[in-house]
Amino acid sequence: MMRRPVALIALCAGLVLSTQALAAELPQRWVSAGGALSEWVSALGGEAHLVGVDTTSQHPESLKALPSVGYQRQLSAEGVLSLRPDVLVGTEEMGPPPVLAQIRKAGVRVELFSSKAELDAVDENLRHLGQLLGAEQQATALATGYRQQLDGLQAEVKQAQVGQKAPGVLLLVGHAGAKPLIAGQGTAGDWLLRQAGARNLAEHQGYKNFSSEALAALDPDVVVFSDRALADEQALQALLKENPALAASRAVREQRLVSLDPTLLVGGLGPRLPASLRTLAGAFYPAAKASFAQ
Amino acid sequence: MKQRVQPRTLIVCLSLLCLLAVWLSLALGPVSLPLFDTLRAGLRLLGLPVAGDDLQQAEMILGQIRLPRTLLGLAVGAVLALSGVAMQGLFRNPLADPGLVGVAAGAAMGAAVAIVGGSWFGGMPDVLAPYLLSLCAFIGGLGVTALVYRLGRRDGQTNVATMLLAGVAMTALGGAAVGLFSYLADDATLRTLTFWNLGSLNGASYERLWPLLMVAGGVALWLPRRARALNALLLGESEARHLGIEVERLKRELVFCTALGVGAAVAAAGLIGFIGLVVPHLVRLLAGPDHRVVLPASLLAGGVLMLFADLVARLVLAPAELPIGIVTALIGAPFFLVLLIRGRS
Repeated sequence: MMRRPVALIALCAGLVLSTQALAAELPQRWVSAGGALSEWVSALGGEAHLVGVDTTSQHPESLKALPSVGYQRQLSAEGVLSLRPDVLVGTEEMGPPPVLAQIRKAGVRVELFSSKAELDAVDENLRHLGQLLGAEQQATALATGYRQQLDGLQAEVKQAQVGQKAPGVLLLVGHAGAKPLIAGQGTAGDWLLRQAGARNLAEHQGYKNFSSEALAALDPDVVVFSDRALADEQALQALLKENPALAASRAVREQRLVSLDPTLLVGGLGPRLPASLRTLAGAFYPAAKASFAQ
Repeated sequence: MKQRVQPRTLIVCLSLLCLLAVWLSLALGPVSLPLFDTLRAGLRLLGLPVAGDDLQQAEMILGQIRLPRTLLGLAVGAVLALSGVAMQGLFRNPLADPGLVGVAAGAAMGAAVAIVGGSWFGGMPDVLAPYLLSLCAFIGGLGVTALVYRLGRRDGQTNVATMLLAGVAMTALGGAAVGLFSYLADDATLRTLTFWNLGSLNGASYERLWPLLMVAGGVALWLPRRARALNALLLGESEARHLGIEVERLKRELVFCTALGVGAAVAAAGLIGFIGLVVPHLVRLLAGPDHRVVLPASLLAGGVLMLFADLVARLVLAPAELPIGIVTALIGAPFFLVLLIRGRS
């Protein structure tokens, strides 16, 4: 008669131990280097695991209270190790490589993610993060939802384009308005504009400075501005003051200027992206604004 | 005449300071290790049979992170300071610094090519890829210096004034090249370039350390042997020639040592300004212009200033890190100004 309870106890003990072992394998203390990545970790409920973030991790606001390990490309081996992390997550932009080698040598897992502006990269990153956090289902749900949101937006943009042709847009990234850089082809900014249904008027590669005459000649329908120093209305005033050539453009005459959070432009696609894209699309297609506002 | 420090006192003091700096550099960091653990781990690294299975972490941090970093700091500081002495001696001008013969501009140009144009070298073998930046910086520094030296030569004579002007022109040209590459760079490479220009001892590893240590050792052994010749050169070129110094050969050696030393230092740690200009100056203010004292004292003082600057760089923002070029200037410049003002009154 003693057999059965003993076996039961053994079984229970085994189960408990195995789940404990599973939990022990998951990294508990995280350092995250990469803005979008830190946002995804938080979105997956892993914020409590974070013990340090890099300077590009600005969202959610609460991350700013964590110790900063510096800029993602200039990590310090001892600095990261002093936080006693189990895992360091970052994009392929993270470095320098000798420091990552030192961190690995100290027994810390270094997990690399993609910072490409592609939906597939987001899927893969979320799957990987889900595994590390033990939140696979949540990660799959997030990835599917994200894809649906962006696909849905694409469909709506297509529909809006039936009634109105794609507006010519310039994205100006500036610091307190002075000498803004124009987002050209191959930049994250260009990707954002195209996703929201705009035609990027700038044809150069990367972010470049334009003369005010060149700005005026392009005559954008809409100007999207992204300012690192000032908030929306102030940034707009500063931009117009520093660049009088813009005042003659159709965008300013028709008051079609939109502000964009500059942190969206670095470190891959983050969870706040779909909402911002909707705002942009709404500004690009005023007739369909109501549909984008949802 | 201002009272000077006895050469022997100065060297002894600097040696003690150097030991202190090395010790602090090994003992302090963002990871706080108990002093006793640091000691035991240090002894274990030296191969002494000290018990301690709990010391893995301490040994790793001491042996793989702090020790290479300390050696790198010492070597870079010493080489930069020695090159500064060589340049100030060659140009007989206390404002000369190693950048004057174009070595820094050349190295920066090489680095810009490597960082921004890295992808253009697409077919690099994997073995070379991690060293591309260092290699390009080194070759750039050496190449531009050789060109400046060549431009300063006429009829078998090196005209120092022409060389100086050629150096200024090449520095401007190098600046333009770096500017052009910054313009072509995307955001990410631009930041890498900016940080490289500020220098860092971060991520020092033994593989990168050996070439620099060999060069530093060579320069540190060779230059002090030429201390008398440098003293004679202080009197003027023809006077030195009358004293039996082979002036042309001396010039060649000085330029070569500087190019090699600064090239290797910059390749290992990026551009770290200020040390080469100010350390020799400081030493001369303290001990007078005799190169037999200035050379060894500058070697020690360069290493000491570098290690203290690095301590600040790694501790003040921990767990993040400041680029060391900012710190060397922040510590050194006010100190230098104080000495200048006191020296004048």
